[in-house]
Amino acid sequence: MRGFQGYHPAILFLYYALLLLLSLLTMQPVLLLCSLFGAFLLYAALFGIREMLPDLVFYALLFVLLAVINPLVVHDGETVLFFLNGKAITKEAIAYGGAGSLVMITVVVWSACYTELLTTDKILFLFGKALPKLGLILSMTFRFIPLFQKQADRIGQVQRTMGLYNGKNLKQRFGGAYRTFDSLLTWSMENSIDTADAMKARGYGLRGRSSFSVFRFRLRDGKMLALMLLLSGIVLIGAGKGNMDFYFYPHLAEIETGAEAFVYYLAMLLLCCIPGFCEWKESLSWNYLKSKI
Amino acid sequence: MELLKVENLSFSYPKQEKDTAPAGKVIEDLSFSVESGEFIVICGASGCGKTTLLRLLKRELSPHGIKTGEILFGGKRQEELTDREAACQIGFVLQNPENQIVTDKVWHELAFGLENMGMTSSEIRRKVAEMACYFGIDDWFRHKTSDLSGGQKQLVNLASVMAMDPKLLILDEPTSQLDPIAASTFINTLYKLNRELGLTIILTEHRLEEVFPIADRVLIMDKGRKLCMAEPREAGGLLRRQAPDHRMLQGFPSAMRIYQGLDPEEEVCPVTVREGRDFVERKYDNRIRSLNRPEAENDGKIAMRMKDICFRYEKNGDDILQNVHLTVRHGEMVSLLGGNGAGKSTLLQVIAGILHPYRGKIEVFGKRIERFRDSELYVRGLAFLPQNPQSVFLKMTVLEDYEEIRPVMGYSKEEFDRKVREIAAFLEIEDLLQRHPYDLSGGEQQKAAIGKILLREPRFLLLDEPTKGIDAWTKKRFGELLQKLKARGIGILMVTHDVEFAAAYSNRCGLFFDHEVLAMETPETFFCSNNYYTTAANRIARRQYDGVLLVEDVIELCRQNGSRQVRE
Amino acid sequence: MGNKNSENSFVRQEEYEPAHIMSYSRKRTVRWGIALVGAAVLVLLGVKLWADRKYHLISFLIALLSCFLFYFSYEKREGSIRRIVLIAVMTVMAIVGRLLFMPVPAIKPVGAIVILTGIYMGPEAGFLVGSLTAVISGMTFGQGPWVAFQMVAWGLNGFIAGLPGLRFLLRKRIPLILYGIWAGIQYSLVMDIWTLFSLDGTFAFGRYLAVLGTVVPYMLAYAAANVVFLLLMVKPLGEKLQRIQIKHGIF
Repeated sequence: MRGFQGYHPAILFLYYALLLLLSLLTMQPVLLLCSLFGAFLLYAALFGIREMLPDLVFYALLFVLLAVINPLVVHDGETVLFFLNGKAITKEAIAYGGAGSLVMITVVVWSACYTELLTTDKILFLFGKALPKLGLILSMTFRFIPLFQKQADRIGQVQRTMGLYNGKNLKQRFGGAYRTFDSLLTWSMENSIDTADAMKARGYGLRGRSSFSVFRFRLRDGKMLALMLLLSGIVLIGAGKGNMDFYFYPHLAEIETGAEAFVYYLAMLLLCCIPGFCEWKESLSWNYLKSKI
Repeated sequence: MELLKVENLSFSYPKQEKDTAPAGKVIEDLSFSVESGEFIVICGASGCGKTTLLRLLKRELSPHGIKTGEILFGGKRQEELTDREAACQIGFVLQNPENQIVTDKVWHELAFGLENMGMTSSEIRRKVAEMACYFGIDDWFRHKTSDLSGGQKQLVNLASVMAMDPKLLILDEPTSQLDPIAASTFINTLYKLNRELGLTIILTEHRLEEVFPIADRVLIMDKGRKLCMAEPREAGGLLRRQAPDHRMLQGFPSAMRIYQGLDPEEEVCPVTVREGRDFVERKYDNRIRSLNRPEAENDGKIAMRMKDICFRYEKNGDDILQNVHLTVRHGEMVSLLGGNGAGKSTLLQVIAGILHPYRGKIEVFGKRIERFRDSELYVRGLAFLPQNPQSVFLKMTVLEDYEEIRPVMGYSKEEFDRKVREIAAFLEIEDLLQRHPYDLSGGEQQKAAIGKILLREPRFLLLDEPTKGIDAWTKKRFGELLQKLKARGIGILMVTHDVEFAAAYSNRCGLFFDHEVLAMETPETFFCSNNYYTTAANRIARRQYDGVLLVEDVIELCRQNGSRQVRE
Repeated sequence: MGNKNSENSFVRQEEYEPAHIMSYSRKRTVRWGIALVGAAVLVLLGVKLWADRKYHLISFLIALLSCFLFYFSYEKREGSIRRIVLIAVMTVMAIVGRLLFMPVPAIKPVGAIVILTGIYMGPEAGFLVGSLTAVISGMTFGQGPWVAFQMVAWGLNGFIAGLPGLRFLLRKRIPLILYGIWAGIQYSLVMDIWTLFSLDGTFAFGRYLAVLGTVVPYMLAYAAANVVFLLLMVKPLGEKLQRIQIKHGIF
């Protein structure tokens, strides 16, 4: 497994944390758009452009909806566009609503990508090192979910053939679901004892438990870390110098356009495009390699 | 070198208020010792205390209760072992492959014990790689544990225990939930571990046919006592002298049962199929080649008929069932055999009305299955016994659980009580009614589940692997029960891997292969035309006699023919 | 009569080790004191750094931080294997429960399971089951900052139910119903902080109330679901736990 997904889980996690932090920290439109662009780039690389188009429409609608709500509730701002029911609808409020919804959409898209990137074993690795007990609980949970679902299916089927809750009305449906749930609860608790025994039998609870994973920190992980730190460092310096400040009320702030600001924008754009770029590159080079087989 | 020594071990569970089970001694005055490198098989009817014994041998799993006597491991008393010794040097594999898996990935499962031992990552990496290669897990090393088959799961359990490098491996009926092919693979792996690595193994098992030939000694237990401990060859003879009608004898390998049934004076007891065949061919004549049995024609009414059934789970998926034809009459039992994951269970679910075919027609009692409304099909109609009887139960006692059926059937209180009494007497489960369903043994759970099904007065019964994990004696009783139900005019369709059971009790057998039902014949025709997929008794006697499937048939024919005259 | 007895014996087992519980509740107080101080420091820091503007970020960080503080403190605790397995089982029951009740609109058992875990297995278990359910559901329904709030919201539901003063009181019908309603409201209140802040960086009480107005139906649904499932499950779950306790020794 290569591409951005192939990097060490700690790198993936750090990147996610950085991106969320930066996206939540700023409402500067250029930086936001950079982040949004990077998110969609990755999204398209992971799920394919065709998959992305309907989602894009959904997000556009969401954007419009959220951008409209704010000016209806908030009437601050100097530039009044028109009056609705005697309330002023201002340009600033619309812009603010737009920027706010951009933040939200950015976060949602990044998160959707990360559901795909940060698979359960990577999450476990991250937790398992620092929080071994919690890591174990999580691991068991991931193991139990498919197991329980299968058993729930079985119980549901058997219950139907026993002539219980075959009706279609709400009461029957609730009764059926509850009976399955209750039966599953008994089953799971009784069988959990076996799991606990199997753990004890393999020495769980001995002193000095270690934690193993198949992930290794390689040179390329180190390089990626350096790159990430460099780019985010530049962006943060920009933030420290006030280039990322942006205000909406009472009137919109100017967007910085100097050469220095451009460096910060570029750093942000590069930072946000890393994962998408890695994934695209990987799929392209894979296609090339495949053509040689 | 003596690795394990058990001296005068007795054990009893603490008496509990609610528990109606007799609180006697589960293990009584048991002594034996195991040499390093031995392969020991412990057998006994269910409830004879073998699981308790195994758990007592592993300190971490010792049940709560009153224990007297000594267990010595490597010359040390069990209590004196360090935590690390006790945990790492004795490996334990439990019965249910599913419940023992702790983590979600195969590699993590292999590493789990090593993590507990506190090994470093590089040590674990090496060890895990070695285990994966040795056990042939390398292909699915990174898979999710939930995607594995039962056999693969049990192999992972074994490998993850073996990774800790134990001196003694204890296994509690490890193959009872596996299909025959997976079970064979598993047993062979154990054999390899024993012979190649000199690993000491203690195993309990129902499938003695395969483990007897590879065991060094067998320990036969009855009601918590040791009946005998000897080499497999001798054990049968010893047991027979001590308890001629012992229920354990039912579970012995076919060759041994034939030998014991014929009771020859001298000779060494055969254990494997090959030895059994030699024994029969050398000792007995074959002037009479087959038993004359009247062919029973069944022209009863049709209980279920399906035509051209096609089914798939997903629109773009593959067909699981393809043009399946099948008819089951009232008063007959039809068995379907076939490989794992071939779609046999899917077929049952389609007939039970749980899944819907996209083509074809199913008639139950002459009425198309779609025409039944809500629960109509399941009241005095069709009943389905799932593979795992635990999915039938819900309540704290079996009786409370039966109560669920009352509103479905519209029984009055008195009527219901009478029905329950009748069925409990029929199934001989009167003393189980007040117990918790999960406290029952596998066979008892099976019976209790059948009870719940019979309360609905079905006329057509679907059974999914009903003999899985049940010992030979209980299996026999279960078979007799099915005969009685048949006599009441109930039609039965069973899906099974159990060749011996299908041969003994069905009227017709079919092979489910490549999405359809092939060869629907009487058991005699069906199994005798198979070379591999047939009963052990048939493999023993097929060159000598025709149409024999069961141990009883072979014994009968040998008796009729009498001893072969020495010709030279 | 039989039932009363069984309930008592369940209670009794908890009270067998008073010394143990004492020392452990003192430690617990200290730990929570630290967590609170940490949160307060963070707020002050946030106030200073972002000049009262970034509530959403601060609240998000607080939520995450409090969860992690809790998890770290849990690591230090002795927990038997059976308890650990049961925590995993209850978490999965909450998640699978959510899926099982798909065909029934709005009524989901998650809150009730979290609360009952708190009642029967203590505040730590309650918090763990609540917060882990949020994390893992997030993996299927989409992860995002709101998950941090959900973690705290469900976690608190379970934690409070397990507090020593409450957990035995809550085995009675009326307090349980009241708590179920309160837990639903509390969940809704916490979760709506996220909705509000994500829309709007600034905080105004009037606007908060306005948003709350739109979520009242959801709040009612949460509360109703809690009450329904709590009443249905409180006894059976207790019986089941007690059974495995008796059968396999204390966990």
